[in-house]
Amino acid sequence: MTVKKMLENDDSKLSIVVDGKFDFSLYQNFRDAYIDFQGRNVDIVLDLSKTTYMDSSALGMILLLKEYGDKNSNRIVIKSPNETVNKILEIAQFHRLLTIEI
Amino acid sequence: MTAVGTMLDNKLALVVDDSITQSRVLSHLLTEEGYQVISAVNGLDAFEKYVKYQPDLVLMDINMPVMNGYDAARKIKNHSNHDALCPLVFITNESTDSAYIKSIEAGGDGILVRPFSHQVFKAKIKSIQRISDLYSQLKRLQQEQDTDAKIAEKLMSGVIEARNFGLDRIGTVKKAAALFSGDIQLSALCPNGDVNVLLGDFTGHGLRSSIGALPLAETFRAMTGKGFSLLEIITQINTQLFNLLPADLFLAATFVTVSSHEESIYILNAGLPDAYVFSEEGAIKHKIASSHPPIGVVSTLLSDTQVSVVSVHSSDRVILLSDGIVEARNKLDQMYDYQRFERAVIKGIDRGDVCRNVLASVESFCQGMEQEDDISLVDIPCDGWQQNYALASQVDDSVLGENLTSIYRGLPPVWEWRLSLTGKSLATVNPIPIVMNQIYAIEGDKEHWLSLQTILTELFVNSLDHGVLGLSSDLKVSPEGFSEYYRERKSRLKCLDSGFVDILLEYYPLTSGGRLKVIIKDSGNGFDVVELFKNNVELPDSDMTLYGRGIELVEQLAESLEYFDDGRTVEASYLWAK
Repeated sequence: MTVKKMLENDDSKLSIVVDGKFDFSLYQNFRDAYIDFQGRNVDIVLDLSKTTYMDSSALGMILLLKEYGDKNSNRIVIKSPNETVNKILEIAQFHRLLTIEI
Repeated sequence: MTAVGTMLDNKLALVVDDSITQSRVLSHLLTEEGYQVISAVNGLDAFEKYVKYQPDLVLMDINMPVMNGYDAARKIKNHSNHDALCPLVFITNESTDSAYIKSIEAGGDGILVRPFSHQVFKAKIKSIQRISDLYSQLKRLQQEQDTDAKIAEKLMSGVIEARNFGLDRIGTVKKAAALFSGDIQLSALCPNGDVNVLLGDFTGHGLRSSIGALPLAETFRAMTGKGFSLLEIITQINTQLFNLLPADLFLAATFVTVSSHEESIYILNAGLPDAYVFSEEGAIKHKIASSHPPIGVVSTLLSDTQVSVVSVHSSDRVILLSDGIVEARNKLDQMYDYQRFERAVIKGIDRGDVCRNVLASVESFCQGMEQEDDISLVDIPCDGWQQNYALASQVDDSVLGENLTSIYRGLPPVWEWRLSLTGKSLATVNPIPIVMNQIYAIEGDKEHWLSLQTILTELFVNSLDHGVLGLSSDLKVSPEGFSEYYRERKSRLKCLDSGFVDILLEYYPLTSGGRLKVIIKDSGNGFDVVELFKNNVELPDSDMTLYGRGIELVEQLAESLEYFDDGRTVEASYLWAK
């Protein structure tokens, strides 16, 4: 269970990779990954390709990220969730709130 | 005073050593550190004194007669309650790895190897005391948290869910992962006899997830009781939770109205796993998937939000579940999942107890694995929800003690109140709660107004549907027809830009009661109430008719009911005794 962040394209894109189980124990780490990001009008990509499972507090953390993105004009993109994780996003109808790239 | 105070504040140390000299030296050093000291001469003696005095620190020699230090340590650690940590330090001459390992394995919290200086000894005691202080601080915080959670749990089950309606008929399962569950189950009776049920899952578990439960329950009950539609209730709850909760706290929930007399359910799933309609043979008739993000995520419901209308048979059951069931895991990290769940429900229907069967199935699948999420299930039968309201007792002259006819004629009402809805407002405003609020405001909130509310609701809906919208009841002849009727009604409401419904109330007080006259006019082409409802279809196994039941009910509740002007005006009089 880790959160990694990577700056790409001359710091104009922020990628956040959540490895393993995405739950409340990552609350602080996940927040730390974007909270000091100063770029405006650029994408924040939440890469879920390595995420095995996600609970409702993870959905809550994504909503906090969305709130941050809305405030700073960052487009939030959720990338490559596995089947289990995508099912959770689907039940929560998150594709109606955020861009999800399968 | 100070002396006693110091005595009470002093920590108590137990020194265990068969050598009196050694014991004295250690006791002396501990006294210098502010401890009170008692001593024991062997392991057994130590254990007995430990039990008797409950010291804050134990210093333990290893080789002693009767019982050695390791055995005594094990006995002490087994005995001590885990609310307080009493650190136990071994004092030994043996500076070997095995002595060190054996000490820790016996439950020791540290080891001091002779020879050591007085300074080292005192430093060791200080460090071990620091850990013990942290431990008790942690314990205290944990206890406070437990107490808070217990209060919240009591509030939830005792205050919120104990007020649920129809629990003798609605089956529920609720197993919390933490002491306090983030899942909430609510049920309440609508004025027309339908029942509203909610299964909700707040983000996370424990106390944190409970913040929204109270306002949710209040709003759900109050609005259901006042006759608001399901969508109106959901809209209000969404706004309320959005404003109340931080961004990462929300409510995944399924809302359902079960209407026995319409043989339909109205349902919206916002963020929960599929809800089910099962037939009595155990076939899955419908699955209602989530069609909206959880409640409290967006500031207003998404614009295309729709409550689904599903035709049901009276022997069908509606099953709602939270994700805790399908995501329950066993030792092999497999999920319980939907297939097992569906099989368990089918078996449960066969055996006549869905809840018990599903719970037993989940438990046998998990085989004692610790439950990670709250588990919640609601099982609602589709029949038997009609006419649960108390019909007003018959009121006549003898009850009121006066001649009604003579008092009624020619006297003006003491108050009258009018509400006109035109065009679009007919599609967006539900006038019944507004009218009822008006009556409550003037005449007070009384139980018997429920009957009046039923009269108002039935008459208004008739005027709107058959008058303004020109819908024919023929559509409702078949059970499937009800959802078609509802769809047609919805589409006509959407393009409505003219027409009106006018509601007038006139109030006449009587010595020991009162009379309320309701006059409703509409802009439609009129309808023949007799013609409209003459084809009432008697259903087999039921004394109910699919439509026209509303008018029958009004006739029972009202003192008089008359249609004028080809059905464009209806006048009902409602009488009550104090």
